[in-house]
Amino acid sequence: MSGNNRQYAFFLGCIAPNRYPGIEASAIRTSANLGIDLLPLKGASCCPAPGAFGAIDLNVWYAMAARNIVLAEQMGMDITLICNGCYKSIYEVNEKLKHNDDLRDGANEVLAEIDMEFKGTIDVWHLAELYYDPKIVGIDKIAESVTRPLTGAKIAVHYGCHLLKPGKERHFGDTENPMWIEELVAALGAEPVQYRNKMQCCGAGGGVRGYDLAHALDITNEKMINLQEVGADALTEVCPFCQLQYDRGQVEIEEKFGIEWGLPVLHYNELLGLAQGMSPDELALDLHAVDVEPFLKKIL
Amino acid sequence: MAVKKDYKDQKLVEKLQDRNYYVSDSNPEFIKEVERLGRTAAHMCYQCGTCTGSCPSAPRSSYRIRLFMRKAILGLEEEVLTDPDLWLCTTCYSCTDRCPRNLAPTDAIMAMRNLAFKRDIVPRNFLKTVQAIYKTGHGVPNNDANRAARKKLGLDEEPETTHKYPEYLPGLRKIIDHYKMKEKADRILAEGE
Repeated sequence: MSGNNRQYAFFLGCIAPNRYPGIEASAIRTSANLGIDLLPLKGASCCPAPGAFGAIDLNVWYAMAARNIVLAEQMGMDITLICNGCYKSIYEVNEKLKHNDDLRDGANEVLAEIDMEFKGTIDVWHLAELYYDPKIVGIDKIAESVTRPLTGAKIAVHYGCHLLKPGKERHFGDTENPMWIEELVAALGAEPVQYRNKMQCCGAGGGVRGYDLAHALDITNEKMINLQEVGADALTEVCPFCQLQYDRGQVEIEEKFGIEWGLPVLHYNELLGLAQGMSPDELALDLHAVDVEPFLKKIL
Repeated sequence: MAVKKDYKDQKLVEKLQDRNYYVSDSNPEFIKEVERLGRTAAHMCYQCGTCTGSCPSAPRSSYRIRLFMRKAILGLEEEVLTDPDLWLCTTCYSCTDRCPRNLAPTDAIMAMRNLAFKRDIVPRNFLKTVQAIYKTGHGVPNNDANRAARKKLGLDEEPETTHKYPEYLPGLRKIIDHYKMKEKADRILAEGE
């Protein structure tokens, strides 16, 4: 931790800390190398999952997300996070409560019962957008931080849904064929590859993974077909829930459909960790369901 | 010369010719509820089908978002809320992104799901997530294998969340209890046993 570093309250969510802790570990270390300190947001909960909670009672979704936001307001810090699902809940509820009195009053009525109040004093950022923003980090600084370039690896990007869409409620520009995460990948020395229907959903969201697994996996499988066509060595994303769906999903696809893909799936922070010299052990890559070894052989 | 449209189904022909045809179980208030909860002017939908054409669930199921929009506008509450397809939206927001009327069909679907839940119509997996969050604060809680992995990484076994600070759980539970959500999840799951 250095005195000049920017500080953010680090919202963890569920799947990164509880299933892929390497994402959490690498986010903290790689960000520190880039001048960003991620401080614990003590007592935060599930965002809560927009598909699971928003789908059945939006009021609970607003109030529970607001509680997480208020914890950061009390620290006087903006939130940053590493998951698109969390981004939808935390970013969107923060914006909705800031701009709609009825929603804010509704949430505050409940929060008052636990001596909390949503004030609307902070902003919420996905860590990937802080990396891309030249005023915070920027592509050049990312490239400078690389000690082990991922040369020779063809990496496809899955943007996920809730970071960029709906575009009119976000600030990321083009949602049909964005290229900024490809720029972040290229900064690591890898070759970003384009593929058909890049913006298609992983299939897991909206509670569909739990409701109809075969349906969700069929959507996932379509992406696998499109990725194989272009010969990607790995898929990267900025959402642990998408990662879970693509990584564990491949095992489930094999069980259910008898198709074996064997495509390694890595969160951008895990890639960045590798490029900054972290070892596979320091990233707990052995927790991935799909063996990451073929990809590591290519770059190490 | 105009061509007269012909339908083989005699009942349908009669329906179409009846200028006073009225669906008795249509609820005109339904679309207003959907608009209030979804915060989108769903009645403006002109049925272009861009939504269904953008939908990742449509090619692999009978789920048609355009149809849900139409049925909602027609007030076919019963049909909408009891249709199992209602739960096949992955909330990817492609339809919302592309809607030429600037509507949010995804949020209309979310609103319809909220209204279904009010009538206890809800898939079990949603309720199990409620129970998990109520118990631990997480929809996907920690486990022993993961604790061991965290330790090896130099992280605390429990993340800096309600897992490490369970003293925050009562506050969280109060919010859920305020809306009687846990109570309802328990009851519906027990009834299904």
